[in-house]
Amino acid sequence: MENVRIVIGLVLIALGMFVYLTATFGLFRFHYVLNRMHAAALGDTLGILFVLLGLMVLVGWNFHTLRLGLIICFLWLASPVSSHLLAKAEFVTFKHIKTECEVVEK
Amino acid sequence: MSKMARIRKEKKTPWQKFCAWVNGDAAEQMLLPAQPPKESKKKAAKAKREKTTSNHRKDMGLGQFDHIYRICAVLIGIAIVSVLMAVVLKLPLFGSPDNPSVNEVVERYVEKGLEETGAVNMVAGMILDYRAFDTFGESSVLFLAVTCVTMLLMRDRNNTDKKEDMLTAQEHVIEGYEEDIILTKISRLIIPCALVYGIYVVLNGHLSPGGGFSGGTIMGSALILFAVSYGMIRMSRFFTYATFRKVTSSALMVYAASKAYSFFTGANHLESHIPLGTPGAILSSGLILVLDICVGIVVACTMYGFYALFTKGEL
Repeated sequence: MENVRIVIGLVLIALGMFVYLTATFGLFRFHYVLNRMHAAALGDTLGILFVLLGLMVLVGWNFHTLRLGLIICFLWLASPVSSHLLAKAEFVTFKHIKTECEVVEK
Repeated sequence: MSKMARIRKEKKTPWQKFCAWVNGDAAEQMLLPAQPPKESKKKAAKAKREKTTSNHRKDMGLGQFDHIYRICAVLIGIAIVSVLMAVVLKLPLFGSPDNPSVNEVVERYVEKGLEETGAVNMVAGMILDYRAFDTFGESSVLFLAVTCVTMLLMRDRNNTDKKEDMLTAQEHVIEGYEEDIILTKISRLIIPCALVYGIYVVLNGHLSPGGGFSGGTIMGSALILFAVSYGMIRMSRFFTYATFRKVTSSALMVYAASKAYSFFTGANHLESHIPLGTPGAILSSGLILVLDICVGIVVACTMYGFYALFTKGEL
């Protein structure tokens, strides 16, 4: 039972690391800001979720599990909002945005 | 005047060239034409971009410079790393009892800290009891820094004209009109939690890791988040320059008074006349709780003050 738990935790952390790897690749390979931000947001949300879930499984059921859960909650609330604001700033300030992506006009 | 003009017209000496290079003038002149004139069609420009930049670089003789620059960078990097590694090898072993840093001061802190200061968190006992004057100096430095920034960046009648006033008024109108709904909803959730957490870290400073500086930073970031999401106008309803002045200076004065009392009781800072209480309780360890609260207030106000002054030029 103990071994199974450790293996599950390590697999989760490895998954998170894989997501981080793809996010980093995207961050350096893409050219446009919004694409890069999309890649970075992947690591900020899914990667951190997997890593912290793995840590929760490794730690076991005690008070630290709750703390790690709170960190997940905070990051999932805060990180998408900051990405949204950055994307908004790019949308407002970049003149030729229609050459890079589709714009739905209301 | 005429002399100066003549010097300017003359051919540049190497020293003047060097000066211009340090100031960035030469680089600007060399690099500005290298930029593609206009990118109306980005996709076409993307394919050509690499070619054109490399051609331009060759034209200006930057290609050679690029090579030398890279080689020099690698060589200097290797040299610095090897010097640092050599120094690390000479360092004494971490944690060994023969280290020069392990002396009677550390022994005293570790062995008698709990008994003399009453703080379970040894770091708090050190910085706010044994070395409280040092921490007072740090908080004063923060206060001084924010005062200097205020002197330089604060907007008032003397350093603004009518045009700038018009612009700020327009900004205020836009700010009041447009609120990002996602940001406001989320910050309504986060700000109270962040404030409560900061207060917890400050009040628990003598029992667990944390204290005035870290808790104050958390509270200050909550204030900054409020200012970002709801705008300066709503912020000024409860936090103005007057409150900032009163709160920070009174916190510093309380700190100074509560630590200076020992001058009047024999100038022995170690022997406190205030009961220490039972270690582990919230109301314990003498003055550390009060000092933590003072430091936390100063740090929170300073954090917010820096943000407000650097973005808007007003508090």
